[in-house]
Amino acid sequence: MPSKRLFDRIDSIQLRGVTKKYDDRFAINDVSIDIEGGELVIFIGPSGSGKTTTLRMINRLIEPDSGTILINDQNVMELEPVALRRNIGYVIQSIGLFPHMTIAENIGLVAKLEGWNEKKIKDRVKYLLDFVSLPSEMFMDRYPHQLSGGQQQRVGLARALLMDPPLLLMDEPFGALDPILRKQLQEEFYQIREKLGKTIIFVTHDIEEAFKLGDRIAIMDDAKLVQIGTAEELIFHPVNEMVASIVDSGKKFKHLDTLKIKDLISPLECMYVHDGSLDIESAISSMIEKNIEIAVVSNGSGPLGIVKLIDLLRMEDKDSKIADHVVEIPSFSRNELLSSSLKIMQKNGHSMAFVMTDEKLSGFLFPNDAFSQVIG
Amino acid sequence: MVTLESILSHTADHLVLVVMTLIISICISMPLAFGSLYNKRFGYVVTKFANLAQAVPSFAVVALVVPLMGIGFYPAVVAILLRALLPIIKNTYIGLSTVDPSMLDYADGIGLNEWQILRYVRLPNAYPAIFAGIKFAFILINSIAILTAYIGSGGLGELIFQGLVAFNNEKILAGAIPAILIAIAFDIIFTRIERKLTPHYRK
Repeated sequence: MPSKRLFDRIDSIQLRGVTKKYDDRFAINDVSIDIEGGELVIFIGPSGSGKTTTLRMINRLIEPDSGTILINDQNVMELEPVALRRNIGYVIQSIGLFPHMTIAENIGLVAKLEGWNEKKIKDRVKYLLDFVSLPSEMFMDRYPHQLSGGQQQRVGLARALLMDPPLLLMDEPFGALDPILRKQLQEEFYQIREKLGKTIIFVTHDIEEAFKLGDRIAIMDDAKLVQIGTAEELIFHPVNEMVASIVDSGKKFKHLDTLKIKDLISPLECMYVHDGSLDIESAISSMIEKNIEIAVVSNGSGPLGIVKLIDLLRMEDKDSKIADHVVEIPSFSRNELLSSSLKIMQKNGHSMAFVMTDEKLSGFLFPNDAFSQVIG
Repeated sequence: MVTLESILSHTADHLVLVVMTLIISICISMPLAFGSLYNKRFGYVVTKFANLAQAVPSFAVVALVVPLMGIGFYPAVVAILLRALLPIIKNTYIGLSTVDPSMLDYADGIGLNEWQILRYVRLPNAYPAIFAGIKFAFILINSIAILTAYIGSGGLGELIFQGLVAFNNEKILAGAIPAILIAIAFDIIFTRIERKLTPHYRK
């Protein structure tokens, strides 16, 4: 049975004095927030501060003791929960893919329950997989355990987009990923967010992620909303010590000119290094097994460049060597100044660079990450 | 001398007894296991009863049925049933209830109702456990069905008991070998069905 389309677009989401208690402890204490349509609002705070509870109240997974939650002026408590949830995309940290279903079945499940015909489901699933940079022919019939963590999280996003919901709830979607992979997915998410044009409510514990992705950031502590505002507002006008320590206002005085690359290096782990003579097929399986999205291609003496898993998956000729498909990226010595390196990278449009110590590869530099660390 | 006809007819009787008991025990156990999932109190009573029935030695169960129901085919079915319920109930319940909570949370969060969660998430995840329970139950059913020949159920047990009384090894084997073959054949068939139902999602 198709459920009702409750809203085609989000004009506003309002929380009015929302309170939830477990026994004597407040999970959320009198929280009021106005969210505009099209905004990406990030909830951040220590664990137990009520950020996830707030998120889960919007799709009624948790119901408030008092207060109201309005989406486009409709009280969510007056909407049928199943219909409400099918109108809202939901992504969680543990992803929650069903291991007994193929990727296509996982993504298309709700469409099937909504009574779509098979052709329509298949087309939609294909479109969504391609949208999240997973070639659909390769992934539709696989099972979740055959995918890397990053690929699974992409499937999680595709699944949330199935019914084209105008609102997405994302609960630490990148929280379980290793730092380099997380940056890569944040980067991709940042880019596709524009295309999505959706209202997004996003929970994280990572302030850099919040600065990078959020239009506004809501800081929660001890079941209360402490402050909500843009990154600049929080950095320059924190309402209290707690906000200041989360956004680490002290850092804003740190002068970019004095920073060297080694201050902001992301260290290299040897699992990223792959020999250039490897063929594409084996490189793909190695990367999936190691759960990495990018690999450093080496010729034995030094790095040639990088290859990305999503690019390798798209290659026609799986027998050719990865050395032939290397993307060159700049490399800098760890003692060079950050500002000049960033300028070079920005000019050439590079999103990452190698960092060398004594002619040997020792880590990566991600400009966006470096920048958010500096302003954060 | 054991004739082939006699072996075949005893095997047929035995098969009717075990297959019928298996079907009845699945039909009784499944609703009890599903009920236990949604009502803790009911589940508690069911598990207690099934554990108790399991604790009584097989031969005692067979004997205990006689004062209550007399002898014959149907009392034998009841005696076997009492022993076969527990493995199916317990395994089904465990299979349905030990599903990764994040999966259930997610299913809830994308708007699956209680029935759809059972149908699309809990049940497929429980298949391996349910099948293990059914296979084990069948082994119990098959062996107790030999004993129930004592209370007039017929079947392969009859040949074995006749053989034992008459010190006739041929008769004992004529009863025992088909019983073993039935156990093996059943295991193979059910493993096939299980493979059909559960895709190869785990290596």
